[in-house]
Amino acid sequence: MPLRSLLSSRFFIVPVAIAIAVGGWNIYVSLHARGLIAGHVVDAAGRPVADATVILYAHDFVTQAEREHTKTDADGAFRFSDNDSHLIQLQAIEGAHSSPRVTIRLWFRAQDYVLTAPLVIEAAS
Amino acid sequence: MTRRACTLLVLRHALLVAVAIAMLTPFYWVLKTALTGENIYAYPPSLLPVHPHLYNFVDVWYLIPFPRYLMNSVIVSLLAVAGNLVLNSIAAYALTLPFRGRRAVLVLLLSCTLVPFQATIIPAYLITARLGLLNAYLGLALPLMSTIVCIFIFKAAFEAVPRSLIDAAQIDGLGELSILTRVLLPLSTPAIATNVVLAFIWSWNNFLWPLIITRDPNMQTLPLGLARFLSYMEDTTGALYAFVVMVLAPGLLVFLMAQSSFMRGLTAGATKG
Amino acid sequence: MVCFLTPSLLIFLLYRMLPLAWNVVLSFQAWSPLHPPSWVGWDNYSEMLYDDDIVWQALWNTLIFMGSQAIGVVIALGIALLVNSDLKGASVYRVIVFLSYPLMTVAVAIIWRWMYNERGGLINFVLRRLGIIDKPIAFLDSFGWALPSTIVANTWQVLGFFMIVLLTGLQSVPPHLYEAARVDGAPAWARLFRITLPMIKPSLFLCAVIGILNSFAAFDLVYVMTNGGPGHATELLITYIYKEAFNQSRFDYAATLTVAQFALLLVLAWAAHRAAGGNAGALE
Repeated sequence: MPLRSLLSSRFFIVPVAIAIAVGGWNIYVSLHARGLIAGHVVDAAGRPVADATVILYAHDFVTQAEREHTKTDADGAFRFSDNDSHLIQLQAIEGAHSSPRVTIRLWFRAQDYVLTAPLVIEAAS
Repeated sequence: MTRRACTLLVLRHALLVAVAIAMLTPFYWVLKTALTGENIYAYPPSLLPVHPHLYNFVDVWYLIPFPRYLMNSVIVSLLAVAGNLVLNSIAAYALTLPFRGRRAVLVLLLSCTLVPFQATIIPAYLITARLGLLNAYLGLALPLMSTIVCIFIFKAAFEAVPRSLIDAAQIDGLGELSILTRVLLPLSTPAIATNVVLAFIWSWNNFLWPLIITRDPNMQTLPLGLARFLSYMEDTTGALYAFVVMVLAPGLLVFLMAQSSFMRGLTAGATKG
Repeated sequence: MVCFLTPSLLIFLLYRMLPLAWNVVLSFQAWSPLHPPSWVGWDNYSEMLYDDDIVWQALWNTLIFMGSQAIGVVIALGIALLVNSDLKGASVYRVIVFLSYPLMTVAVAIIWRWMYNERGGLINFVLRRLGIIDKPIAFLDSFGWALPSTIVANTWQVLGFFMIVLLTGLQSVPPHLYEAARVDGAPAWARLFRITLPMIKPSLFLCAVIGILNSFAAFDLVYVMTNGGPGHATELLITYIYKEAFNQSRFDYAATLTVAQFALLLVLAWAAHRAAGGNAGALE
């Protein structure tokens, strides 16, 4: 079979296109997979809450396991740096009050993610 | 055209469209369930996906683990396809040449077609255990490496090659193997395509044999992983159906790519059969 | 030259001929993983015939399954007749109908399980919306509906293959026969029954054989959809053999069942051969 018709047949083009897409995706993933999760905690009035505990839960189909927790700084910002799961939940606790658990679904494990909406600690938990 | 012929044509298309809808609806229903973002057991089910998202596919990829089963299936299928091409082509070539006992071998092979795989599972398991190939890729692929249907497809294609070409090659002093690879195989590409697709489909979809043979969850192939997932997963997300979609996608892709030559080869084989 | 045949013949020997013989041998033995097998004569066969209720249920289910393949063949013949000609888009329709055949049967079983589901399934939804029923039917859990439900799923999958086989047969009918009949003034249904059906007898025979083999081999679908069904309502011979061999570890009894099933298969294939007029239904 002449080389040219081999190269333009769909049995060559389709696998090569798939390989290129997969390779490109893997490169993107490796550049963005440092496990950083960042966000803010505010209270019901919108003021940042300092020194609140934020817990990270890793999730699979049936179980949720608490992975780590950190504290927010003076601006209510928090940051995790070694998340390795793709399905996590975050909850902020301050004293006796807590925010609802927020589920975050990522596209790949350890994807860097910045929360768009802050965790809101309600007065009544 | 006449009014009557026109009505008949419209009626024909209408019936065929109804049939096509009936055949495609299950695909759509499962795709919708895999994409939807609601509780899939809520009644009434919505006809379109609600808040569609692709995260079920991410879950399936990491938590099944899909890559492991995919790799197992791919390795076993590659082994089966390679074995199929090599073993069946040389066997078919041998059957096109006259030799003593050829008729007996043909009758033997034809009678073997009547023995379905399911009638052999128990001794096949015992034999594979004796060979030490339980739970191994080779053990999974071995029964599929040579099939009679594929031998006959090759045989029909080889017999369609004009005798003069083979004679010319023999005069040129080519040996048997060279005649096969240089003359016959290049002229039988539809048969090669049909056999590759058939061998791939049979080994990719094979469920009973891996069910019997594998002991280790890491050696499971995709159909096995799918069945196992069904038995312990009853969550309310569409993860199982995302798994089904991911499992069906390669098979559908291979079939759609090869479908024109495959359907041609299938009908040719059926008439010569 | 013979050495070219050896690898293939070796595989057929190992995985087709030897197992067939070994099944027969096993059926006359008492097999156990702990000690060597011993000969017990006809004990296994008498157990199968006289002491086992499930095998008769499984046999009956298998025969029903087989009979229902005929419905699939009729539908496929209708589709083939519609698609057969230079109809615009015929190849698209053909691909759509055939699409279900190369799929993984396990996936097809899961798809149809979902279609039959009481809450999320399309079938119950449509039936309730149309007012035909007002409470959902648990198709796969009811003694009456389980087997027909698996039959529908199986027909959906095999339809494409029957259609291809029948299409090939239809396309080999010489058109001048139809012309002569039209000139003679024969109506369409007469052309169908007098010309088409007799001329496609080889294809019909092939469909019959495929249907018989399919009902003896439909393990994947039944195992995943119902695993034998509520009670043994969808138990086929092949699922019963699997359970006896690999769940109960009774290789000897399962071998007996396999031998009986294979004998039945041969009888049915021979009957189909005779019904098609001998010579595998081929025409002179």
